[in-house]
Amino acid sequence: MSVSNMLENWSKFRHMHPVDDAPYTEYKWAMSIDLDACSGCNACSVACYAENNLAVVGKEKYNAGQEMHWMRIERYWDEDGREFPDQGAQFIPMMCQHCEAAPCETVCPVGATNHTADGLNSQVYNRCIGSRYCSANCPFKVRYFNWYDYPTTNNVWPDEMTQQLNPDVTVRGKGVMEKCTFCVQRLERAKNNARTEGRLVHDGEVQTACQQACPTSAISFGNLVEPESKVAKQWAHQQVELAAKDAQAKDEQEGGSDLRGYRIFEELRAYPSVMYLERVRESAI
Amino acid sequence: MIENSFDRRDFLKVLGWGGAAVTLSGCGFTSVQDGVETVVSYVEPPEYAIPGISVYFNSTCAQCDAGCNITGRLREGRVLKLEGNTSSTINYGKMCGLGQAGVQAHYNPDRVREPMLRGGEVLAWDKALGMINDKLSGVKGDEIAFLTGSVSGHVKVLLQNYLEALGTKNHYAYEAVAPSVVRAANKKAYGVEMPRLRLDKAKVVVSFGADFLGAWVSPVNFSQQYGKFRKAGDTGRGVLVQIESKMTLTGANADRWIAIRPGTEGILALGIIHALGAAGLSLPADVAAVSKAYDAARVTKDTGVSAEQIEKLAALLKERSPSLVIAGSAAEGYVHGSQNAAAINLLNSVLGNIGKTIEAPTNVPFPQVAVTTGNRSSVQALNDSMANGKVKVLFSYGANPVFTTPTALKFKENLSKVGFKVVFAHYLDETTQEADLVLPLDSALEDWGTSVPEYQGESAQLSIQQPLMEKLHANTRGVGDILLALLKQRRANEYKDYEDFYSYLRNAVVKNKSALGSAGEDDDTFWTGALSKGLVYFNGSKGSLSAKSSAAGIVLPAPAEEDAAYPLHLIPAVTANLRDGRHANLPWLQESPDPMTTIVWDSWVELHPKTAAKLGIVEGDIIEVTSRSGSIKAQAYLFPGIHPDAVSMPLGNGHVAMGRWAKDVGVNAFGILDQVVDKETGELAFNETRVKISKTGKRVIVVKDEGFIGGSQAGNKIAVRASTDEVELSGEV
Repeated sequence: MSVSNMLENWSKFRHMHPVDDAPYTEYKWAMSIDLDACSGCNACSVACYAENNLAVVGKEKYNAGQEMHWMRIERYWDEDGREFPDQGAQFIPMMCQHCEAAPCETVCPVGATNHTADGLNSQVYNRCIGSRYCSANCPFKVRYFNWYDYPTTNNVWPDEMTQQLNPDVTVRGKGVMEKCTFCVQRLERAKNNARTEGRLVHDGEVQTACQQACPTSAISFGNLVEPESKVAKQWAHQQVELAAKDAQAKDEQEGGSDLRGYRIFEELRAYPSVMYLERVRESAI
Repeated sequence: MIENSFDRRDFLKVLGWGGAAVTLSGCGFTSVQDGVETVVSYVEPPEYAIPGISVYFNSTCAQCDAGCNITGRLREGRVLKLEGNTSSTINYGKMCGLGQAGVQAHYNPDRVREPMLRGGEVLAWDKALGMINDKLSGVKGDEIAFLTGSVSGHVKVLLQNYLEALGTKNHYAYEAVAPSVVRAANKKAYGVEMPRLRLDKAKVVVSFGADFLGAWVSPVNFSQQYGKFRKAGDTGRGVLVQIESKMTLTGANADRWIAIRPGTEGILALGIIHALGAAGLSLPADVAAVSKAYDAARVTKDTGVSAEQIEKLAALLKERSPSLVIAGSAAEGYVHGSQNAAAINLLNSVLGNIGKTIEAPTNVPFPQVAVTTGNRSSVQALNDSMANGKVKVLFSYGANPVFTTPTALKFKENLSKVGFKVVFAHYLDETTQEADLVLPLDSALEDWGTSVPEYQGESAQLSIQQPLMEKLHANTRGVGDILLALLKQRRANEYKDYEDFYSYLRNAVVKNKSALGSAGEDDDTFWTGALSKGLVYFNGSKGSLSAKSSAAGIVLPAPAEEDAAYPLHLIPAVTANLRDGRHANLPWLQESPDPMTTIVWDSWVELHPKTAAKLGIVEGDIIEVTSRSGSIKAQAYLFPGIHPDAVSMPLGNGHVAMGRWAKDVGVNAFGILDQVVDKETGELAFNETRVKISKTGKRVIVVKDEGFIGGSQAGNKIAVRASTDEVELSGEV
């Protein structure tokens, strides 16, 4: 795209996300995570390491906050001063929320992180210069920076271990930012297969690695444009809208409603593509 | 857009500059042109290896004894990732983190690659096998012992045949963290050691310290059921109550987590029965007689659980049926562990759950392939034999007793009394280092085998393990192949038709195809079908339970006395990732935070903030934990989910050998356990060790995933919780 073309047709290319003027027509990938089913077991996180060639950094670098877990489980306790956390802990899987109005995208000086036509927040590694503005601006703290050149670091991928690397996914070098991609390599493959057959990707045809591993099936993933997909039905049932202008239905009601779908930091208007379902606890015991 | 904007000449100009820069640094654009790598085209391409296209093979996970069925993804002949086999009724296409890390066990650079003598001298396989033959000559059968973990399938058949050929009955099946007391109690109460637990049918699950979502028996199966249990469905959302002294992963997911004084689980179970009777549930006469003494006031005094809580729980159980009560590892780890488990199982019988949520597993028609489960008393028996000099030759496969037994047992010392020790090994771990001969094993992803899981899915199945790729190292061998070679030394004639374990296995499985539901099929069709599915089902008859839970014989001691010298109970924690420590050398597992504490790459001591305050301990203090049997030092972590009378340490770390990622990480809590056993079964009582804690004056920063403000959401709505009366679950998608 030449500069002149871009300038001449700027209004056509320019989108505000979420896009009211040009809604998604084929795909809008989204997720929903049922916190009542999530057990916090970390299987999703290990599956992500296996699928996406994540580096194991070791204790010292972990301590410096340089771990690379695109998918992490956060664990919270109640803070009401009871002697025991007698309603258990609060677990929440946290990964890139693929915001529609992503705060990371606007600050990238080189356009390395941007929005794709199917609604992903993508990270172009070989465009990234490592300014780390995106990470600073991310409300969810789900961007991970390569402070070291892990492929050449001792005991990260020694000897035979390189053979496990997924050839569909780049091994990132020093100085670039990385994060959850919703397993874009799987999405692309599914979309290509579907395109060859002249159709769209069916619901359930493609799974993210975390969803596929999840032992309690807490994670659903799919196409929000397709109204019959599980994820679209879940969003619709919980009345969570991708681009809620002010507040979601749940928050508009006095004292909350009996719905349990919510997005984190809704008030920041980043419009995440991940909906969480509240954890539930029995009132009779 | 492209056609009107792309200026080809400009593009080439830019590329020209780039090309020039590359020319300065090398000869060509790629490592192939540079001569660093070469491209060799296939003259004969290997079957299914189409560059760029993934192929999938089914096999069986060997990371723990649950035996999940897996599907390996391969490209260009390399296994890249393991997924769950979607046609399995054990794991329903799902995988845990430990299972995912199976590829790291396979590609692990610290694997043993050559047969070795003590000290590391490498020798050839025929020499190694010849050496075993020599050492066995003149040794009487009962002076030979074979130590294994849980074994099943055709490896077990060959093992039994080999033991028979050697004229020995000394097979010691050892699992350091198996629920062996519960198995014995189940056998008494239900007639089977491991019934099927139907969480998905239960409206209420009360678990006495069974970490079924984390590390207990078949976690992925239970997790799948748990997912359904939590959905409203037709029967309403299930309620989970967890009773234990240290919060496990399952406890962290409970609707109500009840902290109980260590060791009083049985008392609470009888207290609940008492409360059920008081609430109008009719109790059998013998049960009523036993539970009579367990009124709320006494039970509250003994267990520390409030009378109100007991009453609420009894009311819930009475109102919502069927329920399911599970006796777990936390309840069984005491001198009176069997009694605790019996009292808990009695609760199931009183509630009428047997046959409803506790079902009989399908019978495995071939006892010779059915699983021989490991326990802890076997290693004590072996240890006694070795101490008395009764063992001349010892084989060890799939166990690391030098690491997993209490130092008080003196296993390592007694092991040195054995004349010749052969260890079948993946790593040079603590036990392997003591071996006179080390035989390197194929990884689970290179080996053939079958297995019959202890905890069955919907029907009894024979799981098939097949190589997912070529062997990485030329001189490793499958355990079946080694056993076959050893058998040929004894019974050459009987096994002469079998060139290798594969041909034995194929023949043995195909021969029984009619019992495996495929009588009509020809051999090849059946066999390729079995390999492609990764499992075959037995034509097993549905087993039956013999509900004979009775209150007779349940004698529960009063809660343990205060011990002034060692005031705290030590509760060793079996974590989902590290279990008994056999996978400590897998970096994904070390870097995967412990779900409860979020600590990585280390061991720690969990203390209740109240206990810590009393002792003046803050997070990161290096504290010394001393039992009557030894002491270790580790970092303190303040953890609200633990009884103030107890401290907890995770098992699995603290290796002094094994590999680059395991060695010198953390401390080994197995070491300081007191050698105290359950009175009835003789199993090591895991939670009986008493400890005292002292500060060392050192402090470290705890390396953990949670931030410095710990488990606080700092007023944000990140992980949100609602109570059942605030939400409408029916109709959810």
